[in-house]
Amino acid sequence: MTAPTNTTGTRAVGSPLGGHASRIQRAGRSLPFSDERHLQAHHWLVEEAYLLDAQRYDEWLDLLADDVHYLMPVRVTTALGAGYDTSPGMAHFDENKYSLSRRVARFRTEHAWTEDPPSRLRHHVTNVRTFATDDPDHLVVDSAVLLYRSRGDVREAAVISAGREDLLRRARGGGWLLARRTIMVDDAVLRTQNLAIFL
Amino acid sequence: MTDLDLVLGDVRRGMIPAHIYNDEEIFRLERERLFGRAWVFVGHTSEIPQPGDYVVRRVLEDSFIVARGEDGEVRALFNMCLHRGMQVCRAEMGNASHFRCPYHGWSYRNDGRLVGLPFHKDAYGGEAGFRRKGQTLLPAPALDTYNGLIFVSLDPDAPPLRDYLGDFAFYLDYYTRQSESGIELRGPQRWRVKANWKIGAENFAGDMYHTPQTHTSVVEIGLFREPKAEKRKDGCTYWAGNGGGTTYKLPPGSLEERLRYVGYPDVMIEKMKRQWSQAQLDVIGRDGFMVSAASVFPNLSLVHNWPRVEDSEDVLPFISIRTWQPVGPDETEVLSWFAVDAEAPEEFKALSYKAYLMCFGSTGMFEQDDVENWVSLTSTAAGSMARRLLLNSRMGLLEDSTTVVPPLPADRFAGPGEAFVGYGEHNQRHLLARWADHLERPVEKLAQVEVGGAAAQNATKAVSA
Repeated sequence: MTAPTNTTGTRAVGSPLGGHASRIQRAGRSLPFSDERHLQAHHWLVEEAYLLDAQRYDEWLDLLADDVHYLMPVRVTTALGAGYDTSPGMAHFDENKYSLSRRVARFRTEHAWTEDPPSRLRHHVTNVRTFATDDPDHLVVDSAVLLYRSRGDVREAAVISAGREDLLRRARGGGWLLARRTIMVDDAVLRTQNLAIFL
Repeated sequence: MTDLDLVLGDVRRGMIPAHIYNDEEIFRLERERLFGRAWVFVGHTSEIPQPGDYVVRRVLEDSFIVARGEDGEVRALFNMCLHRGMQVCRAEMGNASHFRCPYHGWSYRNDGRLVGLPFHKDAYGGEAGFRRKGQTLLPAPALDTYNGLIFVSLDPDAPPLRDYLGDFAFYLDYYTRQSESGIELRGPQRWRVKANWKIGAENFAGDMYHTPQTHTSVVEIGLFREPKAEKRKDGCTYWAGNGGGTTYKLPPGSLEERLRYVGYPDVMIEKMKRQWSQAQLDVIGRDGFMVSAASVFPNLSLVHNWPRVEDSEDVLPFISIRTWQPVGPDETEVLSWFAVDAEAPEEFKALSYKAYLMCFGSTGMFEQDDVENWVSLTSTAAGSMARRLLLNSRMGLLEDSTTVVPPLPADRFAGPGEAFVGYGEHNQRHLLARWADHLERPVEKLAQVEVGGAAAQNATKAVSA
């Protein structure tokens, strides 16, 4: 068995750069789909997917808490019972707000060739489950994301499938901010030329 | 003269038939004559520190279990059961005392010896029918290490690795021996790009010319202060033995000041001073050059840069080691590791890792733009027009093949080999000249191992000798 998704939040703690990440964990079973908090979390994810598809990254940055930890471990194939399925001490993304802001700033230059011409992106978000935490201002949200990335005219498109565990924090003045995200990509060997995208 | 002779002749004079970057026939020759012979990097001893630790790595299609046995020895075992050819290990890393084939249950110790053969007596009549004793998973024909870097060669007659590396070992120490403990390696990140493997190897070997153009954006956002065109061309490229690389010119100062300039803390600088030879120290302290990207023929590359990782003026150096593993003429699997001195302070290791992630690897802001170019080149090289085009790879040479600038004299460059200040394609030509040497030389007939037969033991000896 791979690690159940309800433990992914602890991965931030184990990452070399996750020391600053919020430690808040989910409590109890997933909220009913009719729960107002679930509706808000789902709405947030869909709005975020729109910004990522449109590459409106400055607005996306505004959705991230100042202490955000954004982690995408490297998946490895290990024997059943090995007890781990990510590469120890290595990730694709292990980011704080500063490093994410540099990535976004780069796309704003006229010299980020890998996205000029830009990819056509579609983030399909599904399997959303929302969990309360011990803190009423935080929610843990699981989701699945399938990114379709098409470049040029006839190149085969890249598809990236991943599960995500997010920690959302209620923002002062309403709405929610992303305080922690762990992206569990489903490939050990990525089939895309780079990760000049966000998941 | 055959078509191949013409191609190799053009390559040797620095005129590159564009189709070699996407050509089935060339790729077939590379598989057989180049990757069938050359030393290929597969991992580092720090990845498998304990007995039983293993990683599975490939040389093209051939899968090897790179394992540390109970005796502490590192071996590379061909990942194919001696009976019906299944992979005996289907994980990519782990710790195991044995590998058991899922098909019929043959099992092997982590040193490769066959120890379990179900119904040996009933099915084969015991040793009289199948000589189990002495049978092992096929070892890589040659395995050797330098500074813990593990290389295999499919050629049992490969020269010793140290001879193969030659004077490049001098430069390899900057990346992999900053203290007596050497490096620890993390990763790799693995991803596949639709680009020919040679392009990355050439780029890392000597392409300082692309830096100011391809990587404009990383300067604009304040990630890396160095690549501005004027500054980059003050660096030099060097070639020595079977590898070469690029350097940046450092501002005036002492050895210590220059190492601090790229972000090394004093505790690491003191270790470098003890570890490196006077000539190795002089390249930095006296001559003012700091190694950056490099390649070892055929497909191992290294990089050392020093970006800003936080909103401050401080920079942090990182080291990456990577292989460009050919998948086909138009596809390469990149394996990109983060390397750091094992004795470095923990805080340095964490920030150096962050520097790596921001610059290179699957998410690296340098790497992203490189690959975009290489994919584009590869796709264009497939057609018939590319067969009419000889790309000029003669930068740094005049028409009569004298060099635009003279090589650096020994009193301005303390390292071995030949170094030139400024832009040039000397190293790309060195790399492709070696490529041509391999491609024109047919391989010897392969020695075969007969499993379990009377002749088997002798044959196995011959291969592992």
